[in-house]
Amino acid sequence: MIETRAVGKTYYTPTGSFNALHSVDINVGAGEIFGIIGRSGAGKSTLLRTLNLLERPTSGRILIEGSDVTDLDGEPLRRLRQGIGIIFQHFNLLKSKTVHENVRLPLRVSGRLDRAAQDRRVAELLELVGLSRNAQKYPSQLSGGERQRVGIARALANGPRILLCDEATSALDPETTQSILELLLEINQRLKLTIVLITHGMDVIRAVADRVVILDHGKVVESGSVVEVFLNPRDAVTRALLAQSGIESGTVTTNGPDGGPVIRLTYHGATSEQPLLSTLSRDAGVDFTILEASVGHLKTVSYGRFTLRLQPRDSERLPKLLQLSDALGVRHEILR
Amino acid sequence: MTVSAVLDSIRSFEYWPEIGEGTVDTLTMTVVSLAFTVLIGLPVGVALFLTGPSQRSERLVTARLQGWAYKAVSFLVNVLRSLPFLILLILLIPTTRWLVGTSLGVAGSIPPLVVAAAPFFARLVENLLREVDRGVFEACRAMGATTRQTVLWALLPETLPGLLAAITVTAIALIGYSAMSGVIGGGGLGDLAVRYGYQRFNVPVMITTVAILIVLVQLVQALGDRLVARLSHQR
Repeated sequence: MIETRAVGKTYYTPTGSFNALHSVDINVGAGEIFGIIGRSGAGKSTLLRTLNLLERPTSGRILIEGSDVTDLDGEPLRRLRQGIGIIFQHFNLLKSKTVHENVRLPLRVSGRLDRAAQDRRVAELLELVGLSRNAQKYPSQLSGGERQRVGIARALANGPRILLCDEATSALDPETTQSILELLLEINQRLKLTIVLITHGMDVIRAVADRVVILDHGKVVESGSVVEVFLNPRDAVTRALLAQSGIESGTVTTNGPDGGPVIRLTYHGATSEQPLLSTLSRDAGVDFTILEASVGHLKTVSYGRFTLRLQPRDSERLPKLLQLSDALGVRHEILR
Repeated sequence: MTVSAVLDSIRSFEYWPEIGEGTVDTLTMTVVSLAFTVLIGLPVGVALFLTGPSQRSERLVTARLQGWAYKAVSFLVNVLRSLPFLILLILLIPTTRWLVGTSLGVAGSIPPLVVAAAPFFARLVENLLREVDRGVFEACRAMGATTRQTVLWALLPETLPGLLAAITVTAIALIGYSAMSGVIGGGGLGDLAVRYGYQRFNVPVMITTVAILIVLVQLVQALGDRLVARLSHQR
């Protein structure tokens, strides 16, 4: 659906040049929610903005639905942009226009519908985002969450197949963030919309994304399905980002007074349905202390992760335990 | 002196017809030149903004052309703004004659008034547009709007209260300038003040014209403020 091939972006300033993106390859499938995450200054916003050519890459190609759009200009570029919705961190609504007029603006721009049809379409969109009652209000009369809903309705006006979200929830409180994310999930499913979102918060990714890339200093340092990346992070940057979200705790104290072996068990999906810990304890005949634990959901997939310390006397039963966990579909790491 | 005596002396003031005529002339000059000022200054202001530093194209050649266009227009605007109005008035006499057939009276004052005020107004418009949230511009680009659509449907509506304030400021400047055109026979209240106040030492006429000018400026400002407030109200 969306593909970048070795996309690079260099900014030239009077004092030198700055590489915002370094040969970035991403490949977003139709209908998926694709997350781009990184610390501030990692280049994620630049990358997102190359997708509708708000930023033109200095090298590499951008492919949208199979066709190379990198060099589009003028009318073809405007047509392309009409088919790609975007929402912003600060909403970027027109203060001088009502909610209805804000949402109607892209319809006036594309000029495909007559006035009556435009008004019907706006009503339909406001219904979708739950703002029908606020059609005649001005943005200043709305809360942040409501303003972002207007932003979403506006982005969807011309029936795009792609929606770009530029830190769309970063200016919102946690509760409002949750409701906006739910709305994004809903439109992703109902409208079969492909969504690319950037954020610096892992919580947003874990709530809605299917796949994710981690960007650092303009380079992709890690990518894969959210479950894969969250439960098996390989890069230090990923681990640092995960630590904020409480999944990865960074370092666990593995040195204890009665130092038995320390292992970490990770599982997800159907495995989570089973009574794992008690089965392992009973069948391997071991006792253990839970040093750290995290269970929860990544979008719709449940997962669990435990760091356990075995009693010293059970050390020789470790191989048995690992064998059992393999049989149950649990991944293990020996930390000590 | 009693109140009725004051009223009587006002009633018997022999210059009322002339003052009335002068007021009408001043208003005519202000309104007509204001209309032309906005008609010319607004597009020039938009052009300055669109070729200005914040809107440079990503294409090098286009950006160069924009840069030259901006510098040329900006230079012209600055030249016109740096000339004192009185000098501009004299300098423009041949042009004015060619344009409206005379350099005297109400008609003769309008071209120099417009030439003086339009560059000033254009700068105000440029500054207003620069202050529009960049995000709005970006949202328009992202929805595939043309420059024309962006200016007409988004940028100008966003700056409307500011535009009205700028028109008010310009109108008041024009009232002031129009009084000055009295020096070279431009008509209006300024003309009266010069002829009676300066050349014949007629203090009552002088004071009356000054009072009327003050009232006019206050009225224009109050009207402008009210319109701006009404427009900003709902936002």
